[in-house]
Order: sequence, then C-alpha cells, then structure tokens
Amino acid sequence: MVENQVEVVAVIKIYQMKIVIILICLFCFGTTFSQKDSTNVFKKKVLETAEINFLTSYYGQNGKNASVTGGIGTEKLSDFTSTIVVSIPINADDVLTIDAGISAYTSASSSNGNPFDISGASRNGDDDDDDDDKTYKKAAQVIGSPWIASSGASKSDVWKTVTADYSHSSKSRNTILSVDVSIANEYDYNSFGFGGGFIQQFNEKNSTVSLSGKVYLDTWNPIYPTEIKSFVEENGNLNQGFFNGVTILDQLGNQSSRWKPAKGFELIDIKTRNSYSVSFSFSQILTKNAQISIFTDIVKQQGWLANPLQRVYFGDISNYFIGNASSISKYTSTNNTDVFQLADDIERLPTNRTKIPIGVSLNYYINEIFTVRTYYRYYFDDWGIQSNTASIEIPIKILETFTFYPSFRYYDQTAADYFAPYEKHLSTEKYYTSDYDLSKFKSMQYGFGITYTDIFSKSHVFNFGLNTIDFKYTNYKRDSGFNAGYVAVGLKFLMD
Amino acid sequence: MIKKVFYLAITSIFFSSCVAVKEYEKININDPDMALSQKKLNRFETSYQVYREGASGANGGKSGGGCGCN
Repeated sequence: MVENQVEVVAVIKIYQMKIVIILICLFCFGTTFSQKDSTNVFKKKVLETAEINFLTSYYGQNGKNASVTGGIGTEKLSDFTSTIVVSIPINADDVLTIDAGISAYTSASSSNGNPFDISGASRNGDDDDDDDDKTYKKAAQVIGSPWIASSGASKSDVWKTVTADYSHSSKSRNTILSVDVSIANEYDYNSFGFGGGFIQQFNEKNSTVSLSGKVYLDTWNPIYPTEIKSFVEENGNLNQGFFNGVTILDQLGNQSSRWKPAKGFELIDIKTRNSYSVSFSFSQILTKNAQISIFTDIVKQQGWLANPLQRVYFGDISNYFIGNASSISKYTSTNNTDVFQLADDIERLPTNRTKIPIGVSLNYYINEIFTVRTYYRYYFDDWGIQSNTASIEIPIKILETFTFYPSFRYYDQTAADYFAPYEKHLSTEKYYTSDYDLSKFKSMQYGFGITYTDIFSKSHVFNFGLNTIDFKYTNYKRDSGFNAGYVAVGLKFLMD
Repeated sequence: MIKKVFYLAITSIFFSSCVAVKEYEKININDPDMALSQKKLNRFETSYQVYREGASGANGGKSGGGCGCN
C-alpha cells in the first residue's frame, strides 16, 4: 500500500511537471502570436472580455444490478460536481481557457468492495479496502450484503481535474488552432491527457470542417474486492488475516474451507489504460433558418479496460458465503441483509477496444419563439455493442430574457459480447463481466432547462457582470429498473 | 457500414453545394439556441451518460479516458 502511494505520488509529480512545461509552451505560443499582431491598429477580438462560468450539479441514481457485487445489489449513488471555467483573451486572436472541476460521490455499490462492514466499523484497522492492516474485528462482527452500503473507504471518492486549453484564430477568423492539456486524479485512478484541434471555415463561413485529436495516458491504482485481496496476501490460507476466525459457508449453509478464486487469482500486472481519439466534423448552414453538423470519432483504448473492483460469479462452480446461513436462500432478494457471496473472480475484459460513434445534429429556427434542436448517433465497437441515440430539444423563448427548454432523449444498446448476468458466466470463458452498463437495454430521459440572459450584465460581483443563469433537470429510466436524476446550475459572468 | 459512410459523404457534398447564406442573413442562424455545440451546462449530462452507457462520443463530450469510469 505504501509503495503504491509512493508510486502514485511520483506519477502525479511527473504529470504536474509535464503540465508546467506544456503551459510554459502554451504561453510562449501565445506571446509569439501576440507580438506578430502588435502591428495591427485595430482588430475585433475573438473574445472581447474575460468570462467566468461557475457550473455545479447534483446527480442521484438507484438500481438493483451493481457491478461491484457481480450484477446484483444496490446501485445507489449520489454525486456532487462543481466546476469553474475561466476564458481569458490573451490578445485579439488568442484565448486561454482554464477548466477546473471537482466531483465528490458516495456509492453504495463501490462501498461493497469491502462489504463485510455494514455494522459501521471496518474489520480492517485502517478502514480501507486493501486489508493491509493486521488489526481485525471479531469474526462475529463480519456482516455483509450486496443490498446494503458498507462503511469502507471506497464508499466515497473525489475526482479532481484541471484542463488548460489555448486557441489561436487566424486574422480572417476562418481558421482556429488549439492545444490542450489535462490532469485528473481519483482514489484508484490517475489521468494525464493532451490534444490539439484544427477548425477551418469556408464558403463564406457557411461550411466548417474540424479535426481534433486527444490522448489520455491513464494509470490504475487498483483496488480489489476484500476477500480476493486477502486470499492473495495470505497465500490462500483461510485461517489467517481477514479470514482468521471467520466461518465460510457453502450453498447449503455448512461450514467449508474450499472457497478460492476460480482461476488461482493473481493481481493485475497491466495498470495502464491509454485512450487515443481522432474526431472529425463537418457543419453546414443549409438555409437562413437551418444548419446541420455531421461528426464522428475513432477511439482506440488499450490497457486494463476492466475495473478490478468488480466481481464476477460463475454458474458452473460452487458458491461460498460469509454471514447468516439462513439468508443464503434469499441471497438475490433485497430482504437479504446479512450474508455475502465470496467472489469467483474480478471482471476480465480484452486489453483493446475500438469505438466508432457517428452523429448528426440538425437545428431549425422556426420563429422568434420556437427553435428545434435534434440529434442522432449510431455507435458500434469491437466488443459487440451497437447503439442508437436520438434526442430533441425545443427552446421556447417565453420572455425576452427567459428561455424554456423541454427535452427528450431515447437510447438503446445491444449487450457486449462479454456480458452475462449474475451466475450466468462459465469459468471456462476468457473474458467476462456482469456490469449492466454493458448489457442490452433501452432508456428514456425527460428533462427541461431554463435560461435567463441579461445581455447588459447589470448585476455585478466585483468587476464581473452576471450575463446568464442556466438551470437544468433530467429524469432517466432504463427498462432494467435503473433510474437516475440530476439538477445543474450554471452562472456566466463577463468582466467589465 | 461502408455504405453508411458513403451516404454521409454524399450528403456532406450535397450540403456544401447549397447557396451560401450571407453574413447579414445569419441573424437566425446566430441565435444562441441554434448553436451546434452543446451548452457548457450540458457537460454534466454527457458525463453521466458516458458513465452508465456502453456508447460514447460524437457529441463533443468524452469518448473514453480521463477517468476510471468508462
């Protein structure tokens, strides 16, 4: 654990150094263009004044197919996210945008990385999921259920990210070049990303082509299910460490010492997950009231693409439990509050994935009150998922300053080749997951938004005038019983 | 798949041959609600969709990488 932390800190320091170097390059890039432009007497700026956007959201979800507990169990999760986006005009042609965000979540599903803790205190002395502390609670206090949140450390996490983007527009404003760099960190994951983009307008600015690329070099700090990590640490001895004094039960509720991970578990050796994407889009003004955009991405991911915390249970091998023997018969019921099934393995997925989404967006201005915004996307990948997404939003200008946005979104997907529900996989398979995000399902989302715009920015905070207030609410339902909702608020300020 | 890409390419060429709308005629096109890019506030919605669905991308948002969630 300590070695892992040192490793993570070292990685973060390297990323921070890279970011500093790239930011210095970005400023040099900007300074160069700024010197060239000093000969101009007057030119309209790409961005007239500094902008600040404060964005925040609250998201909640619930379901009965948690992936951490092998496809059954509570999916209850809440997430609070806050972001600030600052855009600064460096000169007439260049804009620097800094985007910093923090996302804090609590998850019943993730907490069950160590489920044997629903009594409130951790069996592991340091309250993490690594079982590296040798002070254990009494065996009688080891209680778990996939339907109840544990108090383990993985019940919550904070995702932090910073992105810097620098864009340069040509004198004609027909060409825009941009570069960006990003860093993100969470408890079990670190990310470093960079990219660049090119936008060209032509045909009297009626047509636009854009091409961009993005690279993420990510690293896992893997967290495993408690029982599997302990099994490895104690070399399979079920009388030591976490298992010391704990009774393991078979399907009939009889004491057993035969449980072990199905394939002689070894900790993962690939900790990287790299993503490379190329995006292309073509936009065209069709008439005075209509415009369309067609876009596609080609995304290649390599590395450990599965989540090491997510359990899988095989249907062709015996089941073993810790907890109340009389509750085994109702294990998959939400009435099960005191027995937990030991994992057969963690999910295993190929180390390569290619994703290709193709989308089209068509917007139509009906009149001064109504506009229609439509979107369709077809997606396929080499894991066997095909998907359709269609959405419509109808902005309605209620007053000069207020716009109301009702919206609807439909989504469907086929299952990944490697997905099967709880206890439906076979131990002879090479790849397997019970993550229902990779299952076959359909979903509907209803929502609305309200925007208040004050073009004169009369309300002030220091030297910044409030230009826009945005609010949005959506409700999302899958045909599998999963549901989610979120609210978001955004404030946009312009510098005087 | 190749057919779909071909149809999209043909459609793109068709659109680019439309009569150009002059700058002074773009008052409706320049309405903020007509923007082809998403509002900044929609980034959260896009992120949550990436977390809980198998498909991603082609919407100006994330298409993979950057977090352990996709």
